[in-house]
Amino acid sequence: MLRRGKDRASVLVNFDVDRSAVEAARRDPRAFEALYRKYVAQVYNFALYELRDPHAAEDLTAQVFLRALGGLPGFREQGEAPASSFRVWLFQICRHAVSNERRRARRHPEASLDLALEVPSADDVQAEALDREQLARAWEHIDRLPTERRQALVLRFVEEMSTREIGEVLGRSEGATRVLIHRALQAVARQIGRGSDAPRH
Amino acid sequence: MLPDTDDAAIQADAYIDALLTGHRRVPVSLPASAPTSGHSGVRNAIRLLEKGLPRFHPSFLFEEWLADQLRRRAEVSPADEDHAPARIVPFAVIRHSATPAGRLADKRLIVGGAIASGVSIAGAAMIAWRWSRN
Repeated sequence: MLRRGKDRASVLVNFDVDRSAVEAARRDPRAFEALYRKYVAQVYNFALYELRDPHAAEDLTAQVFLRALGGLPGFREQGEAPASSFRVWLFQICRHAVSNERRRARRHPEASLDLALEVPSADDVQAEALDREQLARAWEHIDRLPTERRQALVLRFVEEMSTREIGEVLGRSEGATRVLIHRALQAVARQIGRGSDAPRH
Repeated sequence: MLPDTDDAAIQADAYIDALLTGHRRVPVSLPASAPTSGHSGVRNAIRLLEKGLPRFHPSFLFEEWLADQLRRRAEVSPADEDHAPARIVPFAVIRHSATPAGRLADKRLIVGGAIASGVSIAGAAMIAWRWSRN
């Protein structure tokens, strides 16, 4: 929508695609289920990529949606950051929950990569049949990245968020997020280069 | 002109957008500025991540369990007052006094109210009459 100011300049205002569902859930919290059904897989995905443990990912998903339901009256859609849309707000909650969970989990040994890779059966994977080796390589590469870079890549490639949305989730500008993603990609590219140079057994 | 890093980041971003859009089976042409041979490593990384990172879905049992938990929580969650529909508040019922003393007090109240109204109206008429003569 274009809004005209006194100087006749036009400003692009983004409206949340979930606005009507959010309004409905505010009027009647039982209507929150529509938002839950829409985003449960996305939140679960993010949690699983971060925690690498399906049970921990389920616990975290439950935490996020229960918090979101409780905090919905406090959520205000804004045209600009910090929380321009319901999805961004939900992922901000998710990111904080992941940080808390990581802090708590430091006292315990981390789940192995193999455990996470064994979880998805053929029925669980939504995408086309994947080469298991390719999946393991991609996962291994992003696993070595620092937290923010890894989260940015997961949000970009798995959740298919725009750079702007990712910036809002991470608390960075769009330009800074673009550079962050590019640097993460360069790091992955270097790892791939090293991997291809290494002798194969 | 943009610094080299920003320029490369913008190109990579456009390339990812094109691939992700293609993933949704919408016909697109890759941008002319897509990372070329100089950035082939980044291009390979983008392709690996785009194909290699799958989407998972939580189990049906978990999804339904959590939906049930949310429904229960929603039942006891208050609606946002600003967004809740307006509620009709009934007028308070006026109870007439049952005892003779109470009925007398009610009558006195009514008579007193009528006298006060009459005096007010007379005062207002008086002021208006005086203003009209000045």
